[in-house]
Amino acid sequence: MSTKARNGAVAACLAASVALAGCTGSDAGSTGSSTLNIATLTFPQSLDPAQAVGSALPFFQATYDTLVKREPDGSFSPMLATEWSYNDDRTELGLTLRKDVKFADGTAFDAAAVKANMERFKKGGGADAKWLNDLESVRVVDPTHVTLELKQANPAMLFYLSDAAGLMANPARFKEADSLKTSPDGTGPYRLAKARTTIGTKWVYERNPGYWGERLPYDTVTISFFDNETAIVNGLRTGQVNAALLQSADQQAGIESDTRMKTVEQEFDFQGLLLFDRDGKLTPALKDARVRRALNHAVDRETMLGTIRQNRGEITGQVFGPDTQGYDEKLDTYYSHDPARARALLKEAGYAEGFTLKLPRIAAIVNDALASSLATDLKAVGVKLVWEDLDGASAVQKVFTDRAYSGMVMNIGQSASDWVVVNELVTPGAFNMFGTTDATVRELVPQVQSGTGEKAERAARALNEHLVKEGWFVPFYRMTYLHVSDGTVKITPQSGMAVPSLYNYAPVK
Amino acid sequence: MSENLPAGAPAAGLPGVPSRDAGEAGVPPVRRGGAVRRLLRNPLGALSAAVLLLLVAAAVLAPLLAPQDPAASSLGDAFAGPGGAHPLGTDSAGRDILSRLLHGGRNTLGGALIALGIALVLGVPSGLYAGYRGGRFDAAANWVVDLVMALPAMVVLLASRAILGPDVRALMTVLGVLAAPSFFRLVRGIVAGVRTELYVDAAKVSGLSDARIVARHVLIVVRGPVIIQVALVAGIAIGLQAGLEFLGIGSGSAPTWGAMLNEAFQNIQRAPLLMLWPGLALGLTNAALVLLAGALRDGLEDRAGQAPAPRRAARRHGGTVPAVTIAACGDPADRAGLLSVRGLTVAYPRPDGGGREVVRGVDLDVRAGEIVGLVGESGSGKTQTAFAVLGILPEGGRVTGGSITVKGREVVGLPERARRGLRGGTVAYVPQEPMSNLDPAFTIGSQLTEPLRHVLGLSRREAARRAVDLLRLVEIPRPEQVMRLYPHEISGGMAQRVLIAGAMSCDPELLIADEPTTALDVRVQAEILDLLRRLQKDRGLGVLLVTHDLGVVADLCDRVAVMNTGRIVEAGTTERVLRSPEDAYTRTLLGAVLDQAPARSPWQPPKARSATA
Amino acid sequence: MLNFIARRIAAGALLLVVISFLSYLLLSVPGTDVGRQLLGQGADQAAVDAKNASLGLDRPVLAQYADWLARAVRGDLGTSWFTSEDVGTAVAGRLPVTASLMLGVTLVTTVVSFLLGVWAGVRRGAVDRVVQVLGVVGYALPGFLVTLVLVLVFAVRLNWFPAIGYTPFTESPGGWLSTITLPVLSLSVASVAGVCQQVRGAVIDVLRQDYVRTLRARGLPASRIVFRHVLRNASAPALSVLGMQFVGLLGGAVLVEQIFGLPGIGSMTVTYTARGDIPVIMALVMLTVVGVVLINLLVDIMIGWLNPKARAA
Repeated sequence: MSTKARNGAVAACLAASVALAGCTGSDAGSTGSSTLNIATLTFPQSLDPAQAVGSALPFFQATYDTLVKREPDGSFSPMLATEWSYNDDRTELGLTLRKDVKFADGTAFDAAAVKANMERFKKGGGADAKWLNDLESVRVVDPTHVTLELKQANPAMLFYLSDAAGLMANPARFKEADSLKTSPDGTGPYRLAKARTTIGTKWVYERNPGYWGERLPYDTVTISFFDNETAIVNGLRTGQVNAALLQSADQQAGIESDTRMKTVEQEFDFQGLLLFDRDGKLTPALKDARVRRALNHAVDRETMLGTIRQNRGEITGQVFGPDTQGYDEKLDTYYSHDPARARALLKEAGYAEGFTLKLPRIAAIVNDALASSLATDLKAVGVKLVWEDLDGASAVQKVFTDRAYSGMVMNIGQSASDWVVVNELVTPGAFNMFGTTDATVRELVPQVQSGTGEKAERAARALNEHLVKEGWFVPFYRMTYLHVSDGTVKITPQSGMAVPSLYNYAPVK
Repeated sequence: MSENLPAGAPAAGLPGVPSRDAGEAGVPPVRRGGAVRRLLRNPLGALSAAVLLLLVAAAVLAPLLAPQDPAASSLGDAFAGPGGAHPLGTDSAGRDILSRLLHGGRNTLGGALIALGIALVLGVPSGLYAGYRGGRFDAAANWVVDLVMALPAMVVLLASRAILGPDVRALMTVLGVLAAPSFFRLVRGIVAGVRTELYVDAAKVSGLSDARIVARHVLIVVRGPVIIQVALVAGIAIGLQAGLEFLGIGSGSAPTWGAMLNEAFQNIQRAPLLMLWPGLALGLTNAALVLLAGALRDGLEDRAGQAPAPRRAARRHGGTVPAVTIAACGDPADRAGLLSVRGLTVAYPRPDGGGREVVRGVDLDVRAGEIVGLVGESGSGKTQTAFAVLGILPEGGRVTGGSITVKGREVVGLPERARRGLRGGTVAYVPQEPMSNLDPAFTIGSQLTEPLRHVLGLSRREAARRAVDLLRLVEIPRPEQVMRLYPHEISGGMAQRVLIAGAMSCDPELLIADEPTTALDVRVQAEILDLLRRLQKDRGLGVLLVTHDLGVVADLCDRVAVMNTGRIVEAGTTERVLRSPEDAYTRTLLGAVLDQAPARSPWQPPKARSATA
Repeated sequence: MLNFIARRIAAGALLLVVISFLSYLLLSVPGTDVGRQLLGQGADQAAVDAKNASLGLDRPVLAQYADWLARAVRGDLGTSWFTSEDVGTAVAGRLPVTASLMLGVTLVTTVVSFLLGVWAGVRRGAVDRVVQVLGVVGYALPGFLVTLVLVLVFAVRLNWFPAIGYTPFTESPGGWLSTITLPVLSLSVASVAGVCQQVRGAVIDVLRQDYVRTLRARGLPASRIVFRHVLRNASAPALSVLGMQFVGLLGGAVLVEQIFGLPGIGSMTVTYTARGDIPVIMALVMLTVVGVVLINLLVDIMIGWLNPKARAA
């Protein structure tokens, strides 16, 4: 047999297998309008609502309803609760519940279920269990009325009820609670198709035929986890992924060049240096507000945004996001890039010779460009920046448990609720680990917490301005994230959430 | 691994000849130290060595060569194209690519060096010791090696990274530990094999200390394969480092080629060209390492004495001018009916494009029922003549002139298929070394029946019956049992009988026996010669007996031809040539026999055998 | 033979215990505060401590290991700390993906590298040089580049194959084939380049053997000599390399799994080790050890079958 003939045979074989695979490939790629494939970079540790976290909310929204629904613009509307009202000092929140809602096994959803769920969430040890720290007790008035009794006013309570703390699971399952971790039992629009689901990689939800509310447009929703955006972008291009959120500026630029894609921008995370050590415990220089202001003047935000984010975002000097009441557009540009001013401030503070700032570096957050430009900018004003390379996992330990660093560069989501921002970043806690405070902060925080309407707004604005001027933080910019669909889905971004609610997807007509 | 061992290492490296390289068995010691030279003469080897040298030099001199600090960043200049202060442009942080490439080479190659160093230090001495000593240490070391090899590398790398921190050196240290077993296994295998080799045994008998034996005889054998492995492991270390970097399991802030690639990948849409330089550096290094390993292997194989006979022969003739004329073919009427060779020349190509003639105008005749001896020293061209008649010259060898007729039919220039038709059925071959001429993977029965079935076309059962008959014919007891044995399960003498049976299997008319008794001890030699004589008588075979042993010739042959440097110097009846040799060379040969010294360094000299028995 | 297998399996079991112990120690050393990772960076220290205690992380490492071992022996591998899933189920769900890849790559590598290696080794000359150059190029090309190019050309541009994801064989054999084709091809490039050179070298070595010449002298056709004798004798060294490649794939498939979004063992190993999800990692470690022991056993048995002399040793 001649060599040529043999080669021919091999080639023919290959061609046949390619053709065969090709046909099936396009089959797998095409998806009917009744299936929605979402790709995500985050996933829940458990499908038990007691362990729910906001960043994985869509996984829960599929099978559970929340007491209150949060609309894309951040406003609240009825869901399992049809009405709600506070008492005068905002320490009691009364809820009126729907009558017609049942769990899959026929157990009725009622006030007792709300009480059981909320008490379980509070004690459940979940990441957001602290949200209900202010909840004193849940009083069952009658099957359709329940009152939340609070230790003190909490302006974010409705937000919590529209988020993880408001998810209602079947109380009949609480006895064998471990099973809830992988097989959810709620009143939601979908049920988890366990046979088609591989927890950790792909979750498949099928329509709940007996759903009490309005049908969502898709019969089936799958959420797939990926550990990199390259795979997601490729999936969008072949139509295997219908919708996803892209964070990387480079991937965003790449996908935008593809005309088939539909994209919606959203500013959510801001990136910046959180200074923990404002009392100067580790780095004495940071105790001086002038030093912190000098750091803010040293950073060249415009260039960083332009190069690192390819101008996808807005520079900012504040940690309050545009959806909050405390936000003030003027504060975005409060600190100009002014090395001379920075040096002068340092000199005033007695650090003319500069000082050394040691920061942890997690390569996934602080890429090469950010790390070296920050070092260069600080060096220009005499501050020596030393990066210590850490892995994500050990960073959590070293930064938050061992408190070994004066600050950290982070991406932080910007909530729409002023109180959530204050609670996370200003009151003593993980991101204010050394418990810094001052008279102004002590005065304004309670006003934000319990004040109503205009008073709270004024307090939030004042607090924000105070924090910026005191240089509590060195924010760089708000980053534009891109919601991308393969052209078949209309995505509505959700205020205060990087990932849209499950209700925010609809077929393109 | 064993293919790098000297196959038939003789007792050459005996004590007292320390300068002699044991690895160069069968090769005159003139070529000592030639591995490097040979490597450099190989164009690919030289090129890859040069590329590697250049890369290493660039990495070593990076601080001097780099135009800038590799960490100096100017975000405003990010993604600048080549030119000006940045000959290769800048990366996403506005750092100079050339400087990072140079410093990156330092870290990448330095890291690979750490991994290699640790793997060598852990793997080689323990492998030497385990292979040389065996016993408990060997067992324990093997168990540890199994353990390390079964460890999931990814988990170990990640976990130790979490402990040691994200640092290239730490990562490469762990990798070195993980790679050590490959060196251990390589070295242990070779040493365990060599331990039983004659020259080590001989060295032991003469009372050399273990350390000196290892240093002198064992290390030399291990050297080559280890160098090759070094090149391969270096490639793996560099590739793995880049791969880990790519997964975000990086080197921290130190510039490496892998880190540069990863950084390029993160900006692939905006500046795809960032991939080019680090990718090129990695690819080039890997390619150079593979090519170098290949060239080294070729170079070492060459020196290991495995080169086919013609090269060895040709070396002896180096410098002599090849004969130009083709001997006249003479009158066809003179030519023998069975085998007739006239003016045969055989040549091998030389690297410079010319040809080396190893057989130069040989005339030879074998008639039916006649035994003709072809006598000469090793390298005289007698085996080449035999191969030419059979049409099985080694790679590169070619009949460049003359005529060979078998049963009156011209076979020079005949297509391979027709040529094959003659082999086995008309002309058969009995080789020199019995063990190496049986395929170790098949039973005796299978090897005997194969030609019966595929040349003669017998059925399986018929072939088996016939094979048993053949074994009986060569006086092998209990042939049915022997049929089921593998070559390593029978003795050398029996193997030679099997080979003779194989040669006889298709009823040939001409038997070409190439030193059929040289590798056997004296008692067996006589038996085999008796067998050949009987077969020749019973079947009226014509036999061409290639030998250096004039005793055998005297015993067996009707006529004899004496060969020297590719030519027949004398031919005639055995009686005449042995009694009254006309040629000076023949007389030298005869003189050597009278002195009782073997004319050709035999494969296993009796002296060495008695020492090991 | 049975005795040999039993001995190897017993040795493997011992290896399993020792490696599990070492791995548990190794994994327990680094300060990856699991509780805080689970609860988020902003969690209270008290909540973190409670979380760690609920996972048994407040106890001495030895006690944790003893506990793990006792349950593992009974077949209970625990639940993942980070996904709450039963570890056995989680690993079993991902194993088919990686197994498909490994089998595919091994098949492609064996067929292609034997074809090319034998062809180059027998023909030599120009064919040999071309095969060698291809080998060096295949070896030197960075793996991810090959993968990216394959995805861009055959999935994104031509849409012949899906770019991401995995379809189980049981669900759709055609879909399975199309989802693993590109990943298998990407991994095969380097592996073919490596094994092909081994086969070529082994073939050349065997062709130089005396017995090949003797077989030719017996009048056997060249094709029969190559396909029966040369191939069989050249297979043993090639098989060792193939076995090592296979073992290497256990961890080496990570990159390809990530780029193709394949939920396999490789990417699972990286993700879960980075988080410090000890129950899952321990299961993966066990799986790897069992895999390596079995593959080595299989290779040794096959080499013994190919080479009777090795059988005797």
